[in-house]
Amino acid sequence: MIATLKKHAFKAYKKSAIRKHELNYLFWECTTKCNLNCLHCGSDCAKDSAFEDMPIEDFLKAVDTIQNIPKNFTVVFTGGEPLIRNDIEICGRELRKRGFKWSLVTNGHLYNKQRHISLLNAGIGALTISFDGLQESHNWLRNNTHSFTTVLKAIELATSSNRINFDVVTCVNQKNFAELEQIKQLLISKNVKAWRLFTIIPIGRAVNNPDLHITDAQFLALMEFIKINRKTKEIDIKFSCEGYVGRYELDVRDSNFFCRAGINIGSVLIDGSISACPNIDRAFSQGNIYTHNFYEIWHNKFQAFRNREWTKIGQCKSCKDYDDCQGNGFHNWHGEHTNVLVCHNEKIENAIKHQKR
Amino acid sequence: MKKNVCRKIIGGLSLTSAMFVFQACYGTPQDFGLDLLVEGQVKAKASGLPIQGIKVSVAGNVQYEITDENGKFSFYTEMLEDLTLKFQDVDSTQNGLFHDKDTLLTERSDKIYLDITLDEK
Repeated sequence: MIATLKKHAFKAYKKSAIRKHELNYLFWECTTKCNLNCLHCGSDCAKDSAFEDMPIEDFLKAVDTIQNIPKNFTVVFTGGEPLIRNDIEICGRELRKRGFKWSLVTNGHLYNKQRHISLLNAGIGALTISFDGLQESHNWLRNNTHSFTTVLKAIELATSSNRINFDVVTCVNQKNFAELEQIKQLLISKNVKAWRLFTIIPIGRAVNNPDLHITDAQFLALMEFIKINRKTKEIDIKFSCEGYVGRYELDVRDSNFFCRAGINIGSVLIDGSISACPNIDRAFSQGNIYTHNFYEIWHNKFQAFRNREWTKIGQCKSCKDYDDCQGNGFHNWHGEHTNVLVCHNEKIENAIKHQKR
Repeated sequence: MKKNVCRKIIGGLSLTSAMFVFQACYGTPQDFGLDLLVEGQVKAKASGLPIQGIKVSVAGNVQYEITDENGKFSFYTEMLEDLTLKFQDVDSTQNGLFHDKDTLLTERSDKIYLDITLDEK
């Protein structure tokens, strides 16, 4: 009874949030240059040195078009590797002058003590560092023999500051799957308070590497791992918002699945394109800051994000969970857009069926 | 306004109020911390001239900044009950020799401006 009520309340909330489409979270793909050459490059971020870094002034001009900015509006610097740019702090200070918060996602390689201090001085408020396993598995994915040691140092620096809301993200794959408990213990020993787990979406270089993807049975085990560890509260562990996980919703995250791309999340991409999360198919770009008013685009376009009926296609067409899932995370629609790339719920149900056999 | 209230009630009921607090899949957590902007200028007491090269740091914290050619500094730091700023001459005789000074910030605001004077040694 209560569960049904909550479900209805959530649907009503979702409708209202879509109608309002308040821009709370703005990614800036400030560079596509990167100091690493990860095996899964092109999945959650991309390296492309063909693009020049966008000048800060161009980005700020777009930001300055935003009207009625909500109190919790935040700008998230992403890449590429944002710390390759030496002017992140200048942009951060400009954002703080305007009353906005800002944060950044990094691979941690350039996050040394000096940079930690200059970012804090410039008013950074949140930070995410990628950490993908114990020494061998992390270095394998990051394609760099020093990465593990370097990133651990960055994590130690980040956790030394009470000011930064910090979390670690881990892409679960074949090489680190059996290490999750050890990774957790290591993170706890480094005073990490929050840990987010992902799977790797088969886009970019990740398409043709089977070691990057976990099986349905492993995915189910991952859900159980997160569920059990959320109860122990040793660390704030959660599954990312990458997809709808059916019976595990609320067991593995703080709230129900709601892909907010284009609803509360926008982006300014390296070439000025206006979109939502940077890993979304660029064919969904809604305009360009060099030719359009950013906020007008945000306010008046993004129809494909705010009405997802078009995703009722392929395997989603007859799915009984469609109302709760609505085509999964938007980044799961690449290429011809005729079927969802990954159905997390299907992985779970397949694994359960297989167990019962 | 009315719509906002409704949205919050529904959000609360549905436990999504994780408060309209969300983080994009590949983004960072939201920032709920409180900090303040500390700005100011350091001058020599006797001459009234700005002093470059003074290290302005937060006691018990790794953060610091060095004053520029106008003696100015500006940085954000965590809002704490007791916040002590330390002013130290760290460049030897390069910009003159000055005594260190500690300043306890008692005012609680999101922006503080300080005029600091240091005694010559």
